[in-house]
Amino acid sequence: MVVDVLSRLFGDGMHAWAIATAAMVAAGCGLVGTLLVVRRMSLVGDAISHAVLPGIVLAVLAGGRPGGPLVLAGAVGAALVTVWLTQLFRTQGGLAEDAGAGVAFTTLFAFGVVLVTAGASRIDLDPGCVLHGVLELVPFDTVPFAGIEVPRAFITATLVFAVVVLAAFVTWPLQVFTAFDSPAAQAAGVPVAAVTTGLLGSTALVTVAGFEAVGAILVVAMLVVPAATAELLTRRLHRMAVLAVVMGVAAAAIGYLLAWRWNTSASGMIAVVLGMQYAACLLLAPDHGLVARLWSSCWFHWRVGCEDRLAACWRAEEASMHGGSAGPPASTGFVDRLALGWLAVTGHVRRGPGGWMLSERGRARANTVVRSHRLWEAWLGRHAHLPLDHLHPPAEWIEHHLGAEVRRRIEADVGVEANDPHGRSIPPEP
Amino acid sequence: MSVLAGIPYNTLVVAVGVAAVGFAAGVVGSLGVLRKRALVGDAAAHATLVGVAGAFLATGRRDLPVLLAGGLCSALAALGVLVLLRRWSRTREDAATAIVLGVSFGLGITIVSGITARGIPGGAGLEQFLLGHTAALTAGDAAMLAAVSAVAVAIVLLAAKEATLVAFDPGFAAATGWPVTFIDYALVTLVAVMVVAGLPAAGAVLVTALVVIPPVAARQWTDRVGRMLALSGVFGVVAAVVGVAISAVVPRLATGPLVVLAAAAIFVASFLAAPGRGWWARLRRQRAVEQAWVRGRMLSAAAEVSVDGGGFSKQRIAKLMGGEAGSAGPGFEAAFVSLVRQALVTPASAVTAGRLEEGDRWRLTEAGLAAATERSRRLERWNDLIAAAPQEARERLTIDLPDPGRAAGTDSGERRVP
Repeated sequence: MVVDVLSRLFGDGMHAWAIATAAMVAAGCGLVGTLLVVRRMSLVGDAISHAVLPGIVLAVLAGGRPGGPLVLAGAVGAALVTVWLTQLFRTQGGLAEDAGAGVAFTTLFAFGVVLVTAGASRIDLDPGCVLHGVLELVPFDTVPFAGIEVPRAFITATLVFAVVVLAAFVTWPLQVFTAFDSPAAQAAGVPVAAVTTGLLGSTALVTVAGFEAVGAILVVAMLVVPAATAELLTRRLHRMAVLAVVMGVAAAAIGYLLAWRWNTSASGMIAVVLGMQYAACLLLAPDHGLVARLWSSCWFHWRVGCEDRLAACWRAEEASMHGGSAGPPASTGFVDRLALGWLAVTGHVRRGPGGWMLSERGRARANTVVRSHRLWEAWLGRHAHLPLDHLHPPAEWIEHHLGAEVRRRIEADVGVEANDPHGRSIPPEP
Repeated sequence: MSVLAGIPYNTLVVAVGVAAVGFAAGVVGSLGVLRKRALVGDAAAHATLVGVAGAFLATGRRDLPVLLAGGLCSALAALGVLVLLRRWSRTREDAATAIVLGVSFGLGITIVSGITARGIPGGAGLEQFLLGHTAALTAGDAAMLAAVSAVAVAIVLLAAKEATLVAFDPGFAAATGWPVTFIDYALVTLVAVMVVAGLPAAGAVLVTALVVIPPVAARQWTDRVGRMLALSGVFGVVAAVVGVAISAVVPRLATGPLVVLAAAAIFVASFLAAPGRGWWARLRRQRAVEQAWVRGRMLSAAAEVSVDGGGFSKQRIAKLMGGEAGSAGPGFEAAFVSLVRQALVTPASAVTAGRLEEGDRWRLTEAGLAAATERSRRLERWNDLIAAAPQEARERLTIDLPDPGRAAGTDSGERRVP
């Protein structure tokens, strides 16, 4: 059955070519998008992907072939005009950057749409194609290459990808320096303006490559979403770039297949898959995912609850040794009871004649907590000059965080024989 | 009314409805732009497609109110996601906006394409919401749009003070107890409502222009919020009506791009010609400052040359000002003419002609001499001030003013004393 589906899909090579084209576009977008996202220029990518339209249409009207050098040049020109207009509006008109970009790209895009409609008889573009592309038609427009018929869009996308990868390899250190500290880069002699212009030009190139395949606006999704997804997974820029490329390629393949299965727009579906990838990573990313954060927060509260129970038992034992009342204070909260139950199961406490008793294992752990608590109180009392009744709350909080080395150094500071400020002895390290 | 007689009743009603939307979008958008939320509407606009298509699928009808209600729901949902992403994710705001915009638009395209591919009756018209198409609007639809617009404008008028406060100084507003977050959400919701109301006129892709371009155009003309709101509304009306009118004449063209281009034309005109902030006015002011500076140097040079009460020639003061005769910097001739007009310089009279050297055909008047003295006094003052200023202030002053005399230029010279 799988073979049947595969042969239906790839039998004539049409779908394979479409997927390959989308993947190539996504790869280029992922690479460029990574730099756009870390430089907080996502909306510049948005603006450029709209604004290349008039450049493309004018180039086609001037006799350029779609995907040809003239069209690429027209698109890069239009992109740079957009950025220049935004800057002009900001410096000369006092407009905020987003408002200026909003004026520039909507106007240029509207101009492009009017050109497309007015010149529809002379250009092979229609407004719908401009907006959401027709990936399904890509394999039908081919040119012979090395003996086989290769889709023109695929060749354009591959060339653009090669150029972008080459540019990224050559200028990577400069791009990284500029992205993370552009004033320092400027001071160190990096040609920041040229680096930025190169990035904008690359954005325009990948936008043009994606134009026929996925359309103007969905290029935004390909530029920004994989990069943002990758950013959730790693903090290293080169890993982020590789991950973004992988994510984009995967989404292109999955999105195309789903669209084929459900008979709908491939480019739209690719964007949806990208969105789902982002949502999944937002939830499930190992370090910063919502689930991981929720889990670590719950785990932390659970550990605190257990340690507080152990410390309460320890204090009760101490009080009974000094002739006070026996047994720990009654724990009323649900979590407290749950924690005590868990501690009994794991052998930290056992039920004794007068209530809960610490086992050896539990006593060692409780000892550490109480020791951390009293050491901190002693240290605060000595250095922070707080009133006595202000010492307990911070110590109650930090007792769960102090490590052995910190405890040793605090002890060296306050003195081995010292009591805590309330007069109780500090238990020694077990 | 005879002019309007030839226009079909329906077109007229639609034009009125679209004009109302343009006005309200301009008014609401002004507050959005002032709050620096210009592109929030863009994310909401791209997300409307999901709701429009979803509402069509759910009800199977193509009534405008139903579709727009769906669009509003999905636009607000997208804004909600944006808020959640800002709070719960590490993704920065600009990337979050682009993600919501791109993914929700992709979802919309997917649903619309699915509807089209399955040939569900009536589904073919949904693509019109991409770029706007007012031809299918009925009088009832237009009335509804007008009513929504009227409510939006009323809300803005009632809450203009609060919105202005939050836009200009959110910190102060929060400190004095205004519910800044609530006002922000209300404003963004209002922008979303206007974006949805603008869908038939401008389409999902371009409707954001209706809430951005008229406000920034109006901003060029005035510094008062009230005037900006009114002007922005008027610009919105003009853009919407012009766009719809051209589209009515050339039905092949979608309405959206035409509305946007009309608005852009208004913006370009404002950007170039508005008094105060416009490009031409700025250029004029800069020229005036430069000319005042040249005039000042000219007066000083003339005073130096004619120190014994004699006259001077243009060549001599030009040489003193640092250039060859006739090429002493731009605006030399204009500055000289202006000095003569102000009666600071006058042709040497026959009475004093005997004392003049060959070619010295000009002399300073009493007023001219006084102006030159005053200028040198101010220059001295300025140099004293700079010398007395602390080191870091001096550095800043000398960066701003390579030539310390600039601030002391005569009459209309721009004062840049800190």
